[in-house]
Formats: sequence, C-alpha cells, structure tokens
Amino acid sequence: MIKQDVEIKNKLGLHARAAAKLSHLANKFNSNIFLIYNDDKVNAKSLLGILTLAASIGNSITILADGRDEEKAVKKIVELFDKKFDEEN
Amino acid sequence: MIKCVVITHGNLGEELIRVSEKIVQKKQDIQCLRFDWVEDGSKIVHKLEAYLKTNRNNQVIILTDMFGGSPANICLKYIGSNVEVITGINLPGMLKYITHVDKQLDFKELVRLVKQGTIDGISVLGEYLGEKRK
Repeated sequence: MIKQDVEIKNKLGLHARAAAKLSHLANKFNSNIFLIYNDDKVNAKSLLGILTLAASIGNSITILADGRDEEKAVKKIVELFDKKFDEEN
Repeated sequence: MIKCVVITHGNLGEELIRVSEKIVQKKQDIQCLRFDWVEDGSKIVHKLEAYLKTNRNNQVIILTDMFGGSPANICLKYIGSNVEVITGINLPGMLKYITHVDKQLDFKELVRLVKQGTIDGISVLGEYLGEKRK
C-alpha cells in the first residue's frame, strides 16, 4: 500500500472537469485508489465521489493506492496534479 | 447493450448531454428527444417508439426531467424488463450514467446507480458543511 500527499495547484481545484480527468486516470489502474482530504475518504475512480471533497487550490490531498500497479498509479496521479490537470500553462 | 434516451421539456436534455460530455471529454451514444411547448406529444411518441423498435435487442434507460411531467408520462407504457424510466435527471445523474455505462453492469444495477447519483447530487451546502464541521 502506498500513501502520498499532493497539493492542489490549479486555480479551480477539484472541480468537475479536473475530477473527471482524475477518475478517468484512476480507472486505468487495477489498484484500489482512494483520496483522503480532512476526514473524508473517497474512491478516486468515482467522479462524483471526488467532487464531494470540495477541495480547492492549496489544499493537500492524500492519495492511497493498494494493488499490483499502485506505484505507477500514484506516480501518474501526482503528475496530473502537478501539471494542474492541463488547465493552465 | 444498454442504451439511453433523454426526454425533457425544451432543450434541457440537449444541454445536459452537451455539458456532461464536455466534463468527461467523451462523446456518448445518447438519443435526445425534446418536448416542445406547442406539440401534443404525438411526434415524440413516434420518435420514441421508433428508437425502442430499433433497440429492441438492447436495454434502454430513459432519463426524463420531472415525475408527472409529459416527457415522463408518455414513457409509462414502455416500462418493462428492458426499458426503465428515471425522473428528475440532473447533471450528477447524467455523469453517473456516462461514467458507468461502459462498465458492463447489470441493467437494474445501472438504473439504481443513476438514480442514486441523481439524488446524491442534491445538497443544501450550509447543512452539508455544518455536518462536516461537527
């Protein structure tokens, strides 16, 4: 199991399109992947679940992945956060 | 295969589909029928029957905007083991459908998920945040 914190860097935070990209990416992996923010833990493969976090710029999210491709999953998800979901230059 | 028809008053359905597809960045095979204010419903019934006939070997979820509204009422007689109607569709419900239709789910399970997604999308934010702050 891997746990890694990541900061939200895009201006709009985890809004609908960003959540869609994130859940789409998470669904490519076999591992169970969760996002933890404050006391909430949601399935990273659920678009609507991600939206319930209502997380915005500057917030820190914990990614929790468990499965045979957990390392790659976390790496790719962190990359998506770091490149601001391709929303900003 | 599971297919979907959205039937609403005016262009509500077209916009729901357009915005949902924009969010997930994926085009979907969703039929949209609009109930215009001036018509008596016969045109839309004709189109719906043609669609259901074409898809008689598929299962069809019909998403309508309001319980008791004409778009929902005209669908009543088609409900069966392969056709189900969900009323009160909203953006979360549409997104739930679009993100789950390719997951090879059982028809009834997909219907249940879309209904639940629609309901779960409704919140009074002040109350929601209040509960989280407790």
